[in-house]
Amino acid sequence: MSASTVSVSRREERRERRRQERLLEEAAQIPIKLYGLRRGTVSGLTALCFLFAIFTLIPIAWIVINSTKTQANIFETFGFWFARPFEFLQNFRGLFQDVDGYGVYFRWFGNTALYAVLGGVGATALATFAGYGFARYNFRGSRWLFYLVISALLVPITAITLPLYLTYAKVHLINSIWGMVLPSMVSPVGVYLMRVFVEVSVPRELIDAARIDGAGEVKIFFRLALPLMLPGLMTVLLISVVGIWNNYFLPLIIFSQNNLYPLTVGIGLWSERAQNSGNAQIFPLVVVGGLVTIIPLIALFLVLQRYWRSGLLLGSLAN
Amino acid sequence: MTAQTGKEQAVSSMATQTAARQAAQRRASAGRGSRPSGLRHRRDRRGIWFIAPFLVAFLLFMIAPLGYAIYTSLYTTKIIGGTTFSGAANYTQVLQDGSFWSGVIRVIVFGAIQIPVMLAIAFFFATIFDLGVAKFGRVFRTIFFIPFAVPAVVSAVMWAFLLEPQFGPFTHAASAVGIHNVNFFSSSLLLPSIIVIAIWEWTGYNMVILYTALRSVPRDVVEAAILDHASIWKIIWRVKLPMVRPAIVLLIFLNSIGALQLFTEPLILAYFDNSAVSVNYTPTLYIYNTAIGGSQYNLAAAGAVVLGVVIVAISVGSLVFRRRKGQV
Repeated sequence: MSASTVSVSRREERRERRRQERLLEEAAQIPIKLYGLRRGTVSGLTALCFLFAIFTLIPIAWIVINSTKTQANIFETFGFWFARPFEFLQNFRGLFQDVDGYGVYFRWFGNTALYAVLGGVGATALATFAGYGFARYNFRGSRWLFYLVISALLVPITAITLPLYLTYAKVHLINSIWGMVLPSMVSPVGVYLMRVFVEVSVPRELIDAARIDGAGEVKIFFRLALPLMLPGLMTVLLISVVGIWNNYFLPLIIFSQNNLYPLTVGIGLWSERAQNSGNAQIFPLVVVGGLVTIIPLIALFLVLQRYWRSGLLLGSLAN
Repeated sequence: MTAQTGKEQAVSSMATQTAARQAAQRRASAGRGSRPSGLRHRRDRRGIWFIAPFLVAFLLFMIAPLGYAIYTSLYTTKIIGGTTFSGAANYTQVLQDGSFWSGVIRVIVFGAIQIPVMLAIAFFFATIFDLGVAKFGRVFRTIFFIPFAVPAVVSAVMWAFLLEPQFGPFTHAASAVGIHNVNFFSSSLLLPSIIVIAIWEWTGYNMVILYTALRSVPRDVVEAAILDHASIWKIIWRVKLPMVRPAIVLLIFLNSIGALQLFTEPLILAYFDNSAVSVNYTPTLYIYNTAIGGSQYNLAAAGAVVLGVVIVAISVGSLVFRRRKGQV
């Protein structure tokens, strides 16, 4: 009883917040009448948006529709409509099975989730500490260090990943989840975003005031700065999780056991296998596997859109 | 005041802005002369402890591998004779390898077409949404952003099915409108196909960044322009575009770094039809195939270092070029 009341009031609260956001957005908008546009322009531009939306949705629609087809129907029937038999459940069940000894999809799904959560949390924590350190302390060499971190953006992934592979071979990190998780915790973009976010949202005066009151540096960080940094922290977490979820090159190189693969490597392997095997029905699995891969991320960003916006705004303010 | 500072920061480049901020910080701390300087200094140094955890990871998983890549690239491993120092031999081999350079030129052509087209589309829609001159702007913005959530592997798989030369719906559509026997994976159409895929993947993301940048243009500036009877085109070109130029520069920079490392899309397309995608199709594919396929790690490391130098040269070169032209 009380639990449901709480959830209802929270939902109302959320709806109210969303309404306010929309009102704010509308208030910031200059009425289009003032631009003196001709009457047809709005319809014409809406039509162009509609065309690009179709372009964007074509592959998504294709993957949804074809996840319900048999291998023969994927190739032989019209790509943008359903065909009998309706095989979605059959295809979906295939994701729990080991295909040709190449591995089980849902094992990969679990791996991806594990790498994304561990790596994402680690990257966010490191970036939050470092961003705060760079923004609010002015020690010798901090500027130089910051430039060094930012210039890491220019280094090609191959120049990092290949040597990692060679080193892992020596220290037994090949086929270890830490070989994937630990490098994922290094996020120069995260440090950059957190630094900018601290500059904007944690006033220097507030920290000075807390120091005068005798608070220690660690206490100031956790009690005072961290709550103010939460929206930026969420953004960095999202960016890191999506980055690791979509990462292909690093796991492709460092893993040789298919029970450690993330989704991206597994699907890549299946699509290669599907071409070369005559009898196995792998194409429907590639399609339904692709669909199941993108659903969690699309859901994640639809639910947390607010944080995306604030984070990207940061990116645009920052330069 | 804040908006003014924001604007000033926006017109300066990232580097100069940070420098200016540091200078301001120094001025600010010098201004507060009442505080004992020794205390200030001691406090400042504690910042290193906040940065240390990241720095350790950064050194271990970024700097050390990079250093090791450079080190390895100077050696040669042979089955008989083991590993020996070979100086610049690997570099000579990479630099003289025509297929490496044709890959480099291919990704430069790819970026030179894909990035401007994508940014033009992204800016066009960002402007439309910013001005509110199309209906259902929120819905369209959300739809356009969806591909960002799709891993490159899955995008490439979906597009490979759509463009497949025998069964693909796009191939059928082309023959339905009278273009028969079109092969999107042929050597002449492969790069344009990858460009379309990349535009599909990244336009929404770039659009959202440009949109947020456009939203931060102060309302009163636009209102003043309207009162001066500026047309909507003038407002877009003369008022809005100059104010989001830093965001555009940042996007060109980030997209270029990505484009030069093109890898996943051609690799996956090669699974579907490997006739057009050579093992050296892009520099990253060259490095990947040299290392993993050919086990020539030293040569691959040299390739990776050369690619890094190309990326740095292009980014720094364009930065210097812009500065000389007086922009940014």
